[in-house]
Amino acid sequence: MNNIIEIDMLNKSFKDIKAVDDLSFKVKEGEFFAFLGVNGAGKSTTINIMCGQLKKDSGTVIISGHNIDKEIDIIRSDIGVVFQNSVLDGPLSVYDNLESRACLYGINKKEFKDRLYELADILDFKNLLKRKVNKLSGGQRRRIDIARALFHKPKILILDEPTTGLDPQTRRLIWKVIDKLRNEDKMTVFLTTHYMEEASEADYIVILNKGKVSTSGSPLELKNKYTNDYINLYNVNEEIVKKLNLPYKEIKNGYRISIKDTSIATELISSNKNIFKDYEIIKGNMDDVFLNVTGITLTGGDF
Amino acid sequence: MEILILTKRNIKLFFKDKGLFFTSLITPFIIFFLYVTFLGNVYKDILLTAIPKSIELSKSVINSFAGSQLTSSLLAVICVTLSFSTNFIMVQDKSLGVIKDFNVSPIKSTKLSISYYLSSIITTLGICFFGFLLCLVYLGITGMYFSFSDVMYLVLDIILLVFFGTALSSIVNFFLTSQGQIAAVGTIISAGYGFIAGAYMPIASFNKTLQNIIAFLPGTYGTVLIRNHTLRGVVEELSVQGVPGVVLDALKDSVDFNFYFFNNKVEIWTMYLILILATIFLVLVYILLNVFKKQKIS
Repeated sequence: MNNIIEIDMLNKSFKDIKAVDDLSFKVKEGEFFAFLGVNGAGKSTTINIMCGQLKKDSGTVIISGHNIDKEIDIIRSDIGVVFQNSVLDGPLSVYDNLESRACLYGINKKEFKDRLYELADILDFKNLLKRKVNKLSGGQRRRIDIARALFHKPKILILDEPTTGLDPQTRRLIWKVIDKLRNEDKMTVFLTTHYMEEASEADYIVILNKGKVSTSGSPLELKNKYTNDYINLYNVNEEIVKKLNLPYKEIKNGYRISIKDTSIATELISSNKNIFKDYEIIKGNMDDVFLNVTGITLTGGDF
Repeated sequence: MEILILTKRNIKLFFKDKGLFFTSLITPFIIFFLYVTFLGNVYKDILLTAIPKSIELSKSVINSFAGSQLTSSLLAVICVTLSFSTNFIMVQDKSLGVIKDFNVSPIKSTKLSISYYLSSIITTLGICFFGFLLCLVYLGITGMYFSFSDVMYLVLDIILLVFFGTALSSIVNFFLTSQGQIAAVGTIISAGYGFIAGAYMPIASFNKTLQNIIAFLPGTYGTVLIRNHTLRGVVEELSVQGVPGVVLDALKDSVDFNFYFFNNKVEIWTMYLILILATIFLVLVYILLNVFKKQKIS
């Protein structure tokens, strides 16, 4: 797969604050890429530079084979952005909003109507077309934001915390649509999120801290590198667990034993069949990865 | 095509934003309220105290003299203040972050700027012509001495003044980014422009220094042009009804029918020239600001 985004030695400062510091990473075409970091880590600054909204201090940004310094208009046609906060016109109807945004990409009236009904089907907002945007619920508005970003069929969809504050049903719908776009249209998805469960679905993750890449890799690689596995062992007494000589803590109806990786867990269970009768092996999750990499827990609310 | 749709979007947004729409009507309502409560009588007194007691004027011409001044004050002020309000859509897009949505698209910033300018002109012209129509109806009932050419000249004056006001507001609004700034500038323009345009009291009644300062403001000539074309017929009728030329000249000076730049009377064609050149200059500045901004971002 070719790289659709190539960022090399990117720098951006705001007065004395270095927001992005020699940042380099690549995103492959069709990849689901997660860009993680606490607030102020440099995620939004990087996205704003990629969209041509902010001037970089130095470095190279190549998107879809086009250099941002020379061909920003072509790049803008290739990306669709869902902003953290909705930036649609509240007093106007959904139809009027999408009509005015479609014209930004030179989409004519017929193409507009065809695409509008196609997206209304996918994102289930046919019944909302005449409603004013400021009268929509958070979930309904989010679906319109996504429709706006997809209107011109971009190659790259940038999602800046797209599901924050949404109900589980809307989240499911949004991820269903994004999965469909990835699978059927081979769209590259560039996600920033505070929900580690969403990030764990990504093909590749970059964790940013103070404008620098702290670590990167697939979710599995990161979990293997930065977290332990756990065995939850039930219906045993503490004396037996103590004899295993491994770190453990008490949980409901049993004990959680910490082990380095799954192969050691397998070995341990095989050699202690009489103890391991009621158990489960759990891999470390992305929250653990994030905590171990940055020393901070991301709070995205209940998922 | 893009410009048309964006212009349509801006116009719709202005009328659907009740806050912006009603705020824009504050100045004309204040002028109308002042007229009903006391300005109407002040205008009539100016006329009646100026003419010799021996001359008896018809009620219609007295009403028309006052009504024409109301019309000219209203039109002169709303052409400029409304253009600021209608152009606030540009600032609102920045303060609400909507501009980000435009900036991530390949649309040229020039097209966006033109759409703001066009929508502001169309909306302001629409409301001004509606206001003019209401004034014509009012004058038609109380007393009107407009010729067809007066009406045509007034249409031209309104168009020019709206073009001027929109160019000026485009430049001022270019630097604004927040709702607070919209409120501050809106208040200053609403309150201040009526005063310097002579809507509340004629410029001729200000002290000489202030008159000389106001003479440097191109918008003043738009006001004087409108005053000329609303009062021309009434002045002619006053002459027919026996008011001496000397009295009429003094009257014309006192109600800004005539305007002086450091004691030199400014001719009508000069006023048109000043207004047109000032508008062209402001539009050029607006274009340059946009070009400079584009270079700064890209």
